[in-house]
Amino acid sequence: MGKRLLSFLMASAALGGIAEAKTVIHVMHQGDPGWVATYGEIAKRFEAANPDVDVELIYAPHDAYNEKFSAAVMSKQLPDVMELDAPFLANYVWSGYLQPIKPLVDKDVIDDMTESNIAQGTYPIDKDLYAVGLTDSSVVLYGNKKYLEAIGARIPKSVDEAWTREEFEGYLEKLSKLEGVKWPIDTFRGYGIKTEWITYAYGPILQSAGCDLIDRKTWKSVGTLDSDPCVEALTMMQKWVTNGWVVPQSSGTNQFFAEGQPAALALGGHWFYAEAAASMKDDIVVMPLPKFGPKGASPNGTWIWGITTASEHPDIAGKFVSFMLKDKLYRDYAREDSAYPGLKSFAADSPLYAAGGPMAVAFEQASKTAIARPPHPAYPAITSAFMGAVDEIFNGGDAKAALSKAAEKIDEDIEENDGYPPFDEQQ
Amino acid sequence: MTLQQTVRPAVIARSASRRDNGRLIQEISMLAPAVILLTIFLVVPFLLSFWTAMTNQPLVPRPTPIRFVGFNNFLRIFRDELFWTSLWNVSRFTFWILPVQCGLAFATALLLHQKLPFRNLFRGLFFLPAITSMVVVCVIWGTLFQYPSGPFNQIIGFLSGGRIQPIDWLGDPNWAMFSIVLLSAWQAYGFQMIVYLAGLQGIPDELYDAARIDGANAFQRFWHVTMPGLRPTHVFVLVITTIQAFKLYTQVAILTQGGPKSSTETVVHYMVRSGFEEQKLGYASAVSVILFLIVLVIALLQRQLLRRFDV
Repeated sequence: MGKRLLSFLMASAALGGIAEAKTVIHVMHQGDPGWVATYGEIAKRFEAANPDVDVELIYAPHDAYNEKFSAAVMSKQLPDVMELDAPFLANYVWSGYLQPIKPLVDKDVIDDMTESNIAQGTYPIDKDLYAVGLTDSSVVLYGNKKYLEAIGARIPKSVDEAWTREEFEGYLEKLSKLEGVKWPIDTFRGYGIKTEWITYAYGPILQSAGCDLIDRKTWKSVGTLDSDPCVEALTMMQKWVTNGWVVPQSSGTNQFFAEGQPAALALGGHWFYAEAAASMKDDIVVMPLPKFGPKGASPNGTWIWGITTASEHPDIAGKFVSFMLKDKLYRDYAREDSAYPGLKSFAADSPLYAAGGPMAVAFEQASKTAIARPPHPAYPAITSAFMGAVDEIFNGGDAKAALSKAAEKIDEDIEENDGYPPFDEQQ
Repeated sequence: MTLQQTVRPAVIARSASRRDNGRLIQEISMLAPAVILLTIFLVVPFLLSFWTAMTNQPLVPRPTPIRFVGFNNFLRIFRDELFWTSLWNVSRFTFWILPVQCGLAFATALLLHQKLPFRNLFRGLFFLPAITSMVVVCVIWGTLFQYPSGPFNQIIGFLSGGRIQPIDWLGDPNWAMFSIVLLSAWQAYGFQMIVYLAGLQGIPDELYDAARIDGANAFQRFWHVTMPGLRPTHVFVLVITTIQAFKLYTQVAILTQGGPKSSTETVVHYMVRSGFEEQKLGYASAVSVILFLIVLVIALLQRQLLRRFDV
């Protein structure tokens, strides 16, 4: 009887809360169904801890996120908190959508960030922090132990021992003749031709070969993206494709661990580990990305959280971000998904990435070879042009012509926006 | 007599003009809702897009000013190879889809016009794809097209005893557009089928009876009665299909995103891409104006054709 009375009182208290008009926080995010469910639970826990706040989640699909965000801007329905892909940060801050986040989230969260995490959330003009994330990212070379042993490949254990281009291409050739191997490598063309994956994962191959998407001092792409090292690097990748060494786009993204394990290597994101290791067990080896030129290179940056300038309750938005990043169940889910730590406390709690852990090489890359994507407001144009060029080249187009066209397109966009001031002055 | 003749029309005219005034107000008030709505939702946005096409307006507000750029956007579109590729692709698509889709629709309509048992049930069944969402159809066909071991490739492999290599339907620049044609025709032929059925039902039975009495065989009845009777239907179906084909977008956006190697890039996809992905609203508006002009030309040709066939 007492219990019933108590619950009645609680219910009426809850009703009273609604009548008082709760503060509503809109949170825009992306992610696969597992993550979407996780965010839903975080929102519920936050509401339980802050009964006067309502969290409304807005889901936008990964590959159309920027478009969805633009639509929200146009209809003046900006969320309070938004997840954003790190390379787009410069564009969003330049356009005036994000506000400095340091004063809004707990200090211990800021102090907990790794170097790379700070780098991905920093706007290069004022060097202020605009976004923070639990995670970071990297791409490694996964290998199938059976096949690598069969061809007698050297298995690098640290970033310094990474394969050279000659070694790598030699192994691809050998693997292509090995019984049971249908494709020597999966570069995840299955993600599509209009996905950030292309710039994220193939960009470092350019940097390793000695060039870049754009000159990061003059912010001109002509002369850089269409320079010889880039043309050479993409001609090399084109050769892999025409040799039939790469899993075709229409064959999905699971050929590395699917029945019969038709792909021997996989140039894949850290997130691929959980899925692949679950079905391959001890057969999976994690290696650093090969060196295609004088130096090694690997990508970084991932989806991080920012607070928009449109937010009417930036303090509560900041509270939500702090709450989420510290939330234990969020971290548990991230760890299960082999998430790459971007907070030191989370790294300490992730045996997968610790020294001696299976993904230690991926974590080592962050400090040794990671290069961020160009932090420039023209990034949407840069990545879109590069995706187009890669699609053309992989389907037999001339690398020089495709890259020249892409470089011109990028420069044209920058010109059209008057050089995105003040980026035009920054040298 | 003459007096009456000269006076009466004047009286009639006066009362008629008064009546006309009343009728005019009535007509205007009846037209108003449609005219106002069409103006707000069609005419004004259309004129705005003309204006936007002359500026460098970005999709979302930016710190840089918006400028009037005249015909620069149009000139840049005409210089962009990808635009011509997309126009060529849409023409290719149209050239293929016309015979495939209209042929399929015509054949099924002829079949379903016969006095078959359960005729209405079959009509419903054949119409099913047309009421299925294109997005759903795309996802399903995406699976069917899978390479190298999707259902289509397995069927081909089985029928050819493994002699025909699997086809990378959506991943091979030579096949991708054709694959899109197949699935589009399958999804949309139901509408044309209904139009053909209506056309067939509009041909009087007496004509067939007369032809039979004249000793015409089945083929002669088809060629000399059905075909001429369907002439306006044919023209209508061809024109509608052409205009729809020029607006090809959904299938491409879901299955190939314009690739591989721009072999399925279409004008509308190009427009959405420049407007949303590259955020150049002015440029995208210029593309939409060009697309409008193309469709307008087709529509005018339609009028000419219809007039020639005396419809």
